[in-house]
Amino acid sequence: MYRELEKCPRSLLVCEKSNFENEKSSHDTHVSKHYFNHKVSLVIPECRSLPPKLASVINNFKKYFLIKDLPVYEFLDKDFLENVVWNGALYALSYKTSIDQDNTIALLPSSHLILSVDKDTYEQLGLEGKPSQYNHKQPMRYVVTIDLTEKSMAPGGKRYQRVLSSLKERVPLKSHFLLARHNSGVEGDRVLQSLLARYQWKDHTPVVRSHTLKDLSCPSLRSTDLRGEQHSCDPSSFLEWLGAVSAGVSCDNTATSFTSTYVCPEPNTPVSQALHCTLSGLLLPEDIYSLLQELRRYFDEPKFTSWLSLTVHGFMDSPVSWGDREHGFHKGGENFYNFVLFRNQDYWLHMGTGSNDRCPP
Amino acid sequence: MDRGAKVFGALGQRLYSNRMRRAAKKEEPATYERLVYKNTSVYHYMSISLEFENEETLSPAQLKQFIVNGLKDIYGEVGGAFPFDLLKFDELKLTAILRVYNSGLVKLWSALTLLSSFDQERCAVRVNQERCAVRVNQVSPFLLALSGNSRELELH
Repeated sequence: MYRELEKCPRSLLVCEKSNFENEKSSHDTHVSKHYFNHKVSLVIPECRSLPPKLASVINNFKKYFLIKDLPVYEFLDKDFLENVVWNGALYALSYKTSIDQDNTIALLPSSHLILSVDKDTYEQLGLEGKPSQYNHKQPMRYVVTIDLTEKSMAPGGKRYQRVLSSLKERVPLKSHFLLARHNSGVEGDRVLQSLLARYQWKDHTPVVRSHTLKDLSCPSLRSTDLRGEQHSCDPSSFLEWLGAVSAGVSCDNTATSFTSTYVCPEPNTPVSQALHCTLSGLLLPEDIYSLLQELRRYFDEPKFTSWLSLTVHGFMDSPVSWGDREHGFHKGGENFYNFVLFRNQDYWLHMGTGSNDRCPP
Repeated sequence: MDRGAKVFGALGQRLYSNRMRRAAKKEEPATYERLVYKNTSVYHYMSISLEFENEETLSPAQLKQFIVNGLKDIYGEVGGAFPFDLLKFDELKLTAILRVYNSGLVKLWSALTLLSSFDQERCAVRVNQERCAVRVNQVSPFLLALSGNSRELELH
């Protein structure tokens, strides 16, 4: 009996080491393909307040909209397709829908509409889809992917009409949506405004919180030692420490403490202060990439710290994690990545996922 | 102003900056390496919240003892004896973060779910037995994931 109780769902942690100036470095792809980001967290040792340039990048993160009860067929409107979906990176994700219970919808900037729906809805919809990869014995969830750039999906086409009638008449799917757009053209703005005018909506700017941590221990990292074998900290312990800092967990414990025995991993160095800054909302990969670029310039001026860290958490209920890789929720829907930037433009990239997710790219 | 400037003035800052630049130049760029770990974390982390029938105050040690008692009730002295850490406890919001070895996750989770009342004899601070509930908000093999729970995103 107990052996069964000791089993745990699998998790994956992918760690990469490279240099930003390396031609083959794919850091930009990893950032741009992680579409739905919920939170960004920065930890900069030996820093008291955000440098002005960094603060300006953080304050320039694009605003996003919350639209209430938006029918999905609105995305198929001819004007909307031509001016907003095809012409500019549009990110839309259903809000307050749990992917392990509800129908979840996402519109990717690659113009793919993804419907992750339960079995009943799938059968009523009558659209071609695939059983979710994370079903148990009986498929209870299906994923319908519609490429809106396909020829057959041109407004007026046969398949277009079929999809439209499914979403408008057979199953009028609707949900609250978080929506953001990277490219803002005049015509696109007009069409988007006319859509917003028909529904209840509100624009939101990402919430920025920052505070300074005093007198803490920071793990010692060497960029060449990703595995943590030569006087450096191993990836798992480092991410645990980063999690402890983000959650405000104390490291001042001993092995005999009753409540907690957690301590900062070895080797570590005492640091007088560190900056912890977070942004939350629907955060666009383009903005995160700008932040990453600015962080690379942080070491242009001499600094006491040899590294800093940028963590990006994906939405737990997004139907995709990286690119169009299916994402699910088992015991948790974690999908996050973390950059550790070093003074000489080296970087580490950690990508973590839970059990209902494929291996990160 | 950095430490070099503070101690030695402008000249010191220049010398210090040059030294830092040289140090940065000496470091060879890292070569590409990729590692894939499966089930690398030996721990699971849980974010929980407590609900009491009446307004209650509880210290971290009392909370831990309360959970230990719950484990013993279900799995006995031997089955319920495994280490776990109470990493953080917010006494105002009554929320906590627990860390447990993977092998103890199911047992701890089940014990938390079945906790329903204080035992007045074993938890000496209570005068009367009181109903309570423990809600498990999030479980993850990454502590870092607990600070990025998108289900907590509330927009009005």
